[in-house]
Amino acid sequence: MSRSDVLVDADWVEAHLGDPGVVLVEVDEDTSAYDKGHIANAVKIDWKKDLQDPVRRDFVDSRGFEELLSARGIGNDDLVILYGGNNNWFAAYAYWYFRLYGHDKVKLLDGGRKKWELDSRDLVTEVPSRARTSYKAKDQDTTLRAFRDEVVAAIGQRNLVDVRSPDEFSGKLLAPAHLPQEQAQRAGHIPTAKNVPWSKAANDDGTFKPDDDLRKLYGDEAGLDFGKDTIAYCRIGERSAHTWFVLHELLGQANVKNYDGSWTEYGSLVGVPIELGEGR
Amino acid sequence: MSEPQGCGAPAGGVAVTENNSGEAIIEGTVTSDGAPVSVGYARLLNDGGEFVAEVPLGPDGGFRFFAAPGTWTVRVLAPRGARAEETVTADRGHTTTLAVTVSAG
Repeated sequence: MSRSDVLVDADWVEAHLGDPGVVLVEVDEDTSAYDKGHIANAVKIDWKKDLQDPVRRDFVDSRGFEELLSARGIGNDDLVILYGGNNNWFAAYAYWYFRLYGHDKVKLLDGGRKKWELDSRDLVTEVPSRARTSYKAKDQDTTLRAFRDEVVAAIGQRNLVDVRSPDEFSGKLLAPAHLPQEQAQRAGHIPTAKNVPWSKAANDDGTFKPDDDLRKLYGDEAGLDFGKDTIAYCRIGERSAHTWFVLHELLGQANVKNYDGSWTEYGSLVGVPIELGEGR
Repeated sequence: MSEPQGCGAPAGGVAVTENNSGEAIIEGTVTSDGAPVSVGYARLLNDGGEFVAEVPLGPDGGFRFFAAPGTWTVRVLAPRGARAEETVTADRGHTTTLAVTVSAG
């Protein structure tokens, strides 16, 4: 797989944002940024309202995903270009989610909203109207998604990559430092996990680092065994979707799963092992 | 425990309330030639220079982080390559306030 199969740059988006069969989607948890200004012709997806079940802690089911994409005017044959704020975390999560439901014609805008803004490119407030479609989703591809029992069984067996910041990994912070720290769950990390913060895979402007740097980062520096299967996690699964994208889509690792339950689930389980401090 | 929220960073940072007044807060505003910089990003680095968090600047050029006691660096990125960096210390129950200036670039 090459980079151009999964990523587009801002120049490509400017040249193709009006093409039939191309749908730009801005994805974020806080969609007020979209409302203030977005890339022309982009529709929005709200990470919480649109992608999470309102009752259970889980995704919307395949029917719900079909309804969402149909309402946004996205067809099964459309090429979907995802971008967002927060260094594309939520866009990477949506990318993983689209792939989970079998939509393979999907790419990320490298650098997302941040690079676009730092380049001073145009943003508009006009919301595009797209005709409704009849989207058909596939069953969830669970080869991409890890659940808790599998994660506990993977301790010491598979590569576990904790992509949170070093301070969350060691237990000094419970959440990213732009959020209040009062949380009920325990601090720390899953034993045998390697700490490779998602941010090491990105440049300051939010674009992904070159493949050679990425291979060195996870292989030589972090000591991941590329011959083994890998599970990535963070606090709630968006930052680790960013790392899943790097390992599975950019570096072409075969068996990489995102554990979307992540630390908010693991750190609240009764009786599972937890390690504090720096990794071993 | 309330339902887990995502890790998204709202522009300007999360508001301070009574519930988080015991936090080690680092906040500030970014200006250029005396005017607020509303398009840009503030990122927090730990004492090892590692990325810890990032927020888009608010309409008033504001940012806020909930850190832990210790030494931290705030790095600001704005259009046309404008950059600024400040090192600060944070303490629990205290708010450290920064006035960051970036050149127009």
